[in-house]
Amino acid sequence: MTVKEKNTPQAGSIFQPTIGKIVAAKMLTAKEKYFRVVLEGGKPLGQKPGQFVEISVFGAGEAPISICSSPTQEDSFEMCVRNVGSVTNLMHQMEAGATLGMRGPYGNGFDMEAMKGHDVLFVAGGLGLAPARGVIKYVLDKRRDYGDVTILYGARNPSELLFKEDLSEWEARPDCAFHITVDRPDDAWKGNKGVITTLFRHVKVDPSKTYAVIIGPPVMYKYAILEALSMGIPESRILCSLERRMKCGVGKCGHCQIGNVYVCKEGPVFSYAQIKRLREGI
Amino acid sequence: MLPKIIKKDDLRAFVEALLAENVVVAPTKKGIKYAFAEVDSFDEVALDYNITMLSPRKYFYPQNETVLKFKLGEKPSAEAVVESAPKIIFGMHPCDVAATWLLDVVFAEDPADPNYLSKRKKAVIIGMNCAKPCDEFSFCKDMKSYNATAGFDLMLTDLGDKYFVEVGTEAGEALLVAGAQASEASADDLKALQEWQNGKEKSFVNRIPYDTKFLPEILGASDDSLVWEAIARKCLSCGSCNTTCPTCYCFTVRDEVASNLVDGERKRIWDSCQLDEFAEVAGGENFRKARSARLRHRFNRKGKWLLERYGKSGCVGCGRCDRNCLVKISSVEVYTQLAGERAK
Amino acid sequence: MKPKVAFFSFTSCEGCQLMFLNLEDELLNLLGAVEIVKFREAMKEVTSDEYDVAFIEGSITTHSDIERIKSIREKTKILVAFGACATIGGINAIKNFQPLEDVRKYVYGERWDFYDTVPTMQVDQVVKVDAAIHGCPVSKKEMLEVITSLLLGKTPNIPDYPVCVECKLAENVCVFDKGMMCLGPVTRAGCGALCPSYGNKCIGCRGLITDPNTNAQKDLLEEKGLSVAEVLKEFRMFDGLSEVSK
Repeated sequence: MTVKEKNTPQAGSIFQPTIGKIVAAKMLTAKEKYFRVVLEGGKPLGQKPGQFVEISVFGAGEAPISICSSPTQEDSFEMCVRNVGSVTNLMHQMEAGATLGMRGPYGNGFDMEAMKGHDVLFVAGGLGLAPARGVIKYVLDKRRDYGDVTILYGARNPSELLFKEDLSEWEARPDCAFHITVDRPDDAWKGNKGVITTLFRHVKVDPSKTYAVIIGPPVMYKYAILEALSMGIPESRILCSLERRMKCGVGKCGHCQIGNVYVCKEGPVFSYAQIKRLREGI
Repeated sequence: MLPKIIKKDDLRAFVEALLAENVVVAPTKKGIKYAFAEVDSFDEVALDYNITMLSPRKYFYPQNETVLKFKLGEKPSAEAVVESAPKIIFGMHPCDVAATWLLDVVFAEDPADPNYLSKRKKAVIIGMNCAKPCDEFSFCKDMKSYNATAGFDLMLTDLGDKYFVEVGTEAGEALLVAGAQASEASADDLKALQEWQNGKEKSFVNRIPYDTKFLPEILGASDDSLVWEAIARKCLSCGSCNTTCPTCYCFTVRDEVASNLVDGERKRIWDSCQLDEFAEVAGGENFRKARSARLRHRFNRKGKWLLERYGKSGCVGCGRCDRNCLVKISSVEVYTQLAGERAK
Repeated sequence: MKPKVAFFSFTSCEGCQLMFLNLEDELLNLLGAVEIVKFREAMKEVTSDEYDVAFIEGSITTHSDIERIKSIREKTKILVAFGACATIGGINAIKNFQPLEDVRKYVYGERWDFYDTVPTMQVDQVVKVDAAIHGCPVSKKEMLEVITSLLLGKTPNIPDYPVCVECKLAENVCVFDKGMMCLGPVTRAGCGALCPSYGNKCIGCRGLITDPNTNAQKDLLEEKGLSVAEVLKEFRMFDGLSEVSK
């Protein structure tokens, strides 16, 4: 007799992308480009702030890209992409009207429910502003659900500042405090100078009801976390988003593993209480 | 399901009955080693093989698998590929059965991976029990995988003039009923199996000087051990420990485009955490650049993390990693060294 | 406009260019996508002296080679080192371990002083190289990967891990288990472990991976019975320009 055809799984392949259409694209800096994408059929991505997508440029492959828009914007989602590899290089050649593949959203994202009623201190360094922007926009869109909002943003130099329109808006808003610094100012720069940790002296928080959201390059985490801890914010309320190599986004390929944690599934958002036990975390 | 008996001489007829209507893969001789391969006749089956170079995981999780086909152009399109075909895997040893069981759990975890599961679900596993360890590299007794308790459809034990057949599933039973002159196992047969088992217990020895249930705890306390640096000095980072491991499942994904610049395929290819680029992110930061960190990562996955995550050991003690290590890095020695005084 | 592609030979056997001509089925597709403007092995005429892509086969071994490669570089957008002689010096670098005068006498006889020579260099020791296709000869698959990648504007997938990976995936009996020596553990993969798959050892024609543990490899070869001189000989066949051969 032959082997009976047992039931095959009906679930779709974990590798099947959805096709999305770029409806807006523009260079934000020399290295970073902004994209707004509408999915096939106009359906919302349905992401949580802090989640990411796997973007396919067929022929080049996939890359994990964080979402920089808020889920309160339902008709499309946005990304800010630095040109660092094959996929992102080809993305940079794309303009409005081009299509790309998308899987996701993936990752845990931020627990916006738990953060409700708390003050939020955002600390974003460099390209870290991209994922942070999705959370900031969400909090500002649901402003009444959250307490005091403070945003600290640091970039290497004025030409690398991202989302300048948002920065002006946040600066002007009376319901949030905004501080910005650059490491290497040019002649026109009138603002703060120095690394992002120098901004902490402008900030007063009530550690008993504050969440710190820290997103930036690997080198920034240790120093920013140290500042947040010095303010008395508990480890469990210092939240970071980590970046790792990812091939699948769904906890199989093994590339993003730190200790026994898959950044793509259990992360990319971790509290410092979790990270401190991960040897290769930061 | 009740165990059965196949007479020694009837095994050929059983395998030939399987071959008549199914694709059968079995251990075969390959040079001075063994490899699972598709067979056309019973005579190709190396029943007395010790261990194959790769485990049969390659049939569920191929070394290089197309997972997506796409077309480039103005309107790119992409369609996932999930291919599977029924197969009988004959002669799998208990360690490989245990390893497959772990992979079943890993790939079924949400979101489930149909590329693995569809192949796995169409496969029937007919195991072959081992009377003695493969060679000096085996430490399956330490890892408690030298006896298969489940994860097979049928498991054969060679009792001299007959095979004792444990029936694991209905699919296995159906094959047996249709293709073999099998009889019910008698009380004497059960006694003979028990005696065989007693002999097996003696021929398999423990090589790690402590119960491996302490392994997660020992590894957990060893992050800063210089053992990792000591083995890193000689490690070639060739990845052979990973590529031959029956429980390794990490992969990379690569796109290939045909010369017409329109048709393309996305491939999933076995990867290894021992390779330099494994933990490198776009932009160049490498979170496990040091060989020692890569080795610590692998040993923790094998001895601690997969067990904690999936409830099944990431190491089955088949010894392929040690057997294939050109510079003689030994899992048994590492586990023993790390344990320090507990080893007594 | 189709990209203009040219092929140039330096010190080599020109076998890699032959591999390109051997692409057969794919060749027609590729010829539709590019314009070949110079290819001595396949055509007489030269139709342009500006190149979008130049494939450079061979090592740099004379003063005039140096001038010529510099001049090609100036006229080329993407310069591809094509084959082991160009990417790692390859066999040609064996002469670097002998006095150059002896080499010239041995090769050219009486009128040896008539012929110029310099120590063998791989192309990127003289000019900037944008992409490399490794191997002696280059593999069809990798050649296609690089060419299609250039046409699509993406970075080609060139493995930076050892041959052992592909050899294990092919389920070959390890060359060392057969009592032979092998450079697979430190040599760049991408060939699909071709030589071990056909019963030979890996002789390192694709060059070393970026971060090889060459000390461990040397210890391994010595432990298997090679003397230090023999170990060096193994490496110097193709990898004469690398640190490990010094």
